[in-house]
Amino acid sequence: MKFPLPFSKSKHNKEKAPEETAAPRKDIGMMTPLKMDFVQLIKDATQDPSDLIVKDIPPNITLIYIDNLVNDQVLTDHVISNLQKKSVDTPDSIKAALSIPEINASTRLDVIVKSIVTGSVLIHMEGHSQVIMANIPKLESRSLSTPENESQVIGAQVGFNESLSTNISLIRRYIVSPDLCNEKFIVGRRTNISVALLYINGIANEQMVNTLRQRITDLDVDSLLDSAVLSEMIDDNSMSAFPQMLLTERPDRFCDGLINGKLGIVVDGSSMAIVCPQSFIEFFQSREDQNLRWQIATFSRLLRFTAILLSVFLTPIYVGALTFHYEVIPQAFLVPLSESRALVPFPPVFEALLLEFIIELLREAGARLPTKIGQTIGIVGGIVIGTAAVQAGITSNILLIFVALSALASFTTPSYMMGNVIRLIRFPIIILAGFWGFYGIMLAFCFILIHLLRQTSLGAPYLSPFYPPRLKGLANSIIRLPYPLTSKRPEVARPVDKEKYKPEPIKPENS
Amino acid sequence: MNNTIQLSPKDMINAYLLFFVVHSTQIGVGVHGFQRIVYQDAKHDAWISVLLAGLATHIVAFCMIKTLEVYGSNDLYGIQQDVYGKWIGNFLNSIYILYCFVAFFSVLRNYIEVIQAWIFPGISTWFLSITLLLIIIYAFTGGLRVMVGISFFSVILAIWVIPMLVFPLKFSTMDSLFPILEVNIISLLKGAHSMTFTIIGFEILNIIYPFIKDKKKTSKYTHLALLSTTFIYLSIMLVSIMYYTEGKLLKTVWATLTLFSFISFPFMERFEFVAVCFWMLIILPNLCLYLWAAYRGMIRLVKVSSTKFVWIFSTLAFFGTLMVQTRPQINTMNTYLGKAAFYIVFVYPVLLYLITMLKKKFTSQKEQNNEKI
Amino acid sequence: MKKYRFYFIILFLPSLLIGCVETNILDRVGLVTLVGYDVGKEERMATTSAVREVNPEFQSNVEVVTTENSTSKGNRVKTNRKLSKKVVVGQMRVVLFGEELAKDDIHRYIDAHLENPTVSNSLYMAVAEGEVAPLLEYEYQNIDDIGQHIFRLLEQNIEQENMISSTLHEVGRDLYSEGEDIFMPIIKREEELVELSGIAIFKNGKMVSSLRPEDTFYVKLIGGNYKSGTFETILTKEEIPDDLMKNKPDEIPIAFDALTSEKELKLINKNTPEFDLNITIKTRLTEIYPDVNIGDPKTVKKLEEAISKNLSREISRVIAYCQSVESDIFAFGDKYRSSVRNSKLTKEKWHELYKNMKVNVKVDLTILRSGVFE
Repeated sequence: MKFPLPFSKSKHNKEKAPEETAAPRKDIGMMTPLKMDFVQLIKDATQDPSDLIVKDIPPNITLIYIDNLVNDQVLTDHVISNLQKKSVDTPDSIKAALSIPEINASTRLDVIVKSIVTGSVLIHMEGHSQVIMANIPKLESRSLSTPENESQVIGAQVGFNESLSTNISLIRRYIVSPDLCNEKFIVGRRTNISVALLYINGIANEQMVNTLRQRITDLDVDSLLDSAVLSEMIDDNSMSAFPQMLLTERPDRFCDGLINGKLGIVVDGSSMAIVCPQSFIEFFQSREDQNLRWQIATFSRLLRFTAILLSVFLTPIYVGALTFHYEVIPQAFLVPLSESRALVPFPPVFEALLLEFIIELLREAGARLPTKIGQTIGIVGGIVIGTAAVQAGITSNILLIFVALSALASFTTPSYMMGNVIRLIRFPIIILAGFWGFYGIMLAFCFILIHLLRQTSLGAPYLSPFYPPRLKGLANSIIRLPYPLTSKRPEVARPVDKEKYKPEPIKPENS
Repeated sequence: MNNTIQLSPKDMINAYLLFFVVHSTQIGVGVHGFQRIVYQDAKHDAWISVLLAGLATHIVAFCMIKTLEVYGSNDLYGIQQDVYGKWIGNFLNSIYILYCFVAFFSVLRNYIEVIQAWIFPGISTWFLSITLLLIIIYAFTGGLRVMVGISFFSVILAIWVIPMLVFPLKFSTMDSLFPILEVNIISLLKGAHSMTFTIIGFEILNIIYPFIKDKKKTSKYTHLALLSTTFIYLSIMLVSIMYYTEGKLLKTVWATLTLFSFISFPFMERFEFVAVCFWMLIILPNLCLYLWAAYRGMIRLVKVSSTKFVWIFSTLAFFGTLMVQTRPQINTMNTYLGKAAFYIVFVYPVLLYLITMLKKKFTSQKEQNNEKI
Repeated sequence: MKKYRFYFIILFLPSLLIGCVETNILDRVGLVTLVGYDVGKEERMATTSAVREVNPEFQSNVEVVTTENSTSKGNRVKTNRKLSKKVVVGQMRVVLFGEELAKDDIHRYIDAHLENPTVSNSLYMAVAEGEVAPLLEYEYQNIDDIGQHIFRLLEQNIEQENMISSTLHEVGRDLYSEGEDIFMPIIKREEELVELSGIAIFKNGKMVSSLRPEDTFYVKLIGGNYKSGTFETILTKEEIPDDLMKNKPDEIPIAFDALTSEKELKLINKNTPEFDLNITIKTRLTEIYPDVNIGDPKTVKKLEEAISKNLSREISRVIAYCQSVESDIFAFGDKYRSSVRNSKLTKEKWHELYKNMKVNVKVDLTILRSGVFE
């Protein structure tokens, strides 16, 4: 089930970040007490970049740092001024003199080089081979903003940004608990990206935590640029089109998952966090459902499920009925349908594919353009091309409605990743319907059903709570049950602590 | 009894899923046109025959479960090896595997025939059989969990078909059912015997038993499934008798589908076209589980990987579909299968039950004697 | 196996094209909405079909094509030769039979339709007065699509319970029943319109006679349950109770609507079949002239009795007439079969018994209310 090649399962243990514990290799250089040698060593090891600053502080202290990586303010206020003011004579006294929280000492070149590229200032004292590393990184990050891709009307309006520490602080704001576990990994042989695995101890299933930890540590890749890449690599089945882990930019949705016993992964430099295990149906549930009254949330959930079904099957059914099964068309539809198609020179399958293709083009163009132009292109393109296509007689206007409807419906999916899949699987189904009518549609349906049944998410069945059936969970995923009835956590993540609270009998409001 | 099946709990299924397994294997292609065959003997009392057949399934299932319980965690193949010794046991096992193959093949070919007769008269048999077989292979390679899942969904997603039986009631008359019990008991039994081809499928119990987690609940869910199957067949039969008259029912090949022909909605007419295609989902568990049952037996005889087995099996089935071309051939095949199934599914398990009971008594006596000595 | 998976897919793809099936693209087929059968002049069978075609030039039009051949499929081939589009029958709604053909035998035509899976079981069957061809070929001023028109005409009247229902299923069922004969509406052209002009009654698939359209009401009363029918009758001088009003008119026309009825049929003697037929009617009085005091319960009672008697007489008349032509369209035979053990009923046997059957009709009518103005 694991991702096969090229991420071979090497046994590099990157779990413990500081590498003092690892056995020293032969080519590892050691520091020298001489200042000139030290500077030269660092310069060689870092390819002597133009922003490498070497600064002397009399009498015998040398600072080396990379200009764009360290925080200037802290450097002047805390490091340089303290070193000038206080009298220091040994590396240990330097450590004591500096009021910086993260400060280490080492004599090994590889550790020191790794530290300088993560934003440390190296402090060397003539006559001592030990080098002090004061970590004062300059963290460039954009300010917090509303989540762009997962907006909702009611609820928190803050989204993750690209900084790992900001994201974790956001999560810690939602879950104020000492049980929140945070394990750090470094992934990427060349890029050394920090990855944090979060879960709540006492709820999360230990076996799942172990599995996920194993999958992350087993990764042997040279770079990791986004959490989406990571999620595809550690998926149960990377060959499937269906995502098995949720990518979200909403901290509240992330924390909702953690509270239900799921595991979360935050990747530095990525504004999307991973939540797993995730069942198929949960991709269609919005965080907002919890914030609305249950009747309204139920309505919008049912609306969404109908939308998905329409989106996948409406156009294929049109194609199948018009190509093969004219018998099933009700008499009242016959005349409008056949007249709207009277001028169309193509068979229905081609007509449908053409229209779907145009819609996808508009969407793709809209996504690539700046927001404002993108919207305009969508509206103008939709109206102009749609009207013109009907008038030119290359499509029928009834199909135009169907295609637009199914495109619209596919955007109701609260997860962008799943929405993409919904739109994609429509195409093969249309083609099958065009070849073999309803038989083709049924083939596709059976195939998708079996495919979904075969999938797992972190070992948990993907179609849970439908299969294996869990009555309560089933009810709570199709409709949203009122809170007195949802004292149990969903079964997907096999939580250790199964109950959210002690169920109380529902009290009528007047008692 | 050294050939019991040892399984980790991960590979096992919950007992309540047995309900879906048994129910979905029973309902398949037979339901399309079983009315005519039963009606030939039992006339308008055919519904009593359906009830009798249902009763028989309960009795047989009871014997099956009792036999299986003796062995704890073993399937029919293992039991036969134990009871008859290696050679005869394996011979009987081969017969059972052959039976699974023929049943699989018959379901496949019958469904193809319905599609060809009803929707695509021009479509080639080999194409339909390849597409269906590929779907089945895909499901089979997913393992038992996936196949049981298909059973589950095929039952759940087909529930909406049952209310459709209300539509034909508009054209029905109760008079057709009277006078009750006009034909003699022999005809009723003959009618019940004709139900064999339609009602078989629950013999999967023999094979799936070791895979059930809480085996105590087996009989509860099996009987529940048999009951609901009987109920569905009974309601279809009752509606059909009331909807058709004798002459018309005897001439209607697929009475259930013709029954659906009247159903129309504001957005769709001719419901049977949808029903025929939708039936693919209903026959999938049939096919998958027969295939799986054959596989379970095969690995007792020879060492074969599941992938290799499924490809060989499907290739045979594929060439089989090419051989059986005409409707009379298919009907002959169904009749023979029905006859064979009557002995394999209905008579044999009772026999086996008696033999195991005798053997059990014999061995326990022997043990007692040994203890005395 | 994995290594070869790619090649399998490559091999499988062409089968997508080979596995292609014949398409019936909606705008490229001619949909037969109505087909009529006559006795042919040269060949055995003449069919007239109304085919709806869609053309880019003139949005949609209906062709009426008449061909002669020995089978209905052969006629379809011949029709195809005359049209630019493939003729398909999956949307056929009405089948008409010429009177002459109906009197001959329609058994094989019904069989042919039942056999074809594309033909819907819910299509209507009817008999055309005279021949079908002139009825369809006539250029009606206000009717564009004659097939559609006749379908709507039948559908509307059957739904309003003004006409007996004769779908393919019902006709086929009755044809193969031992104790029931088929019946169908009769259609004829009335100047620029098409009209339902009666009920054709059959014996063993041969039309033997017809009933007036007014008699539909009685046929339906005997045959089954009304849900909301309308009906009018005329009370003759003898039937009017003496003390209903002062100046007794010669006749009183009465109209009802929202009529619900239930029937109860019981076999009381099986040797020479004798049935008790009890019909309970609940209805609303809508028209009566001259005016009768509906507010008075006694008057209403009398009126109810008078109407019941009138209805019983009419029902007995209709049954007697059908008996005289040996056509059991009321399914008395089915009742006989279901009430008598081991009757071994056949059609012939029943027709023998049917001739001498006795029916005791009893009608119980209740006037629930009149309109909003008494």
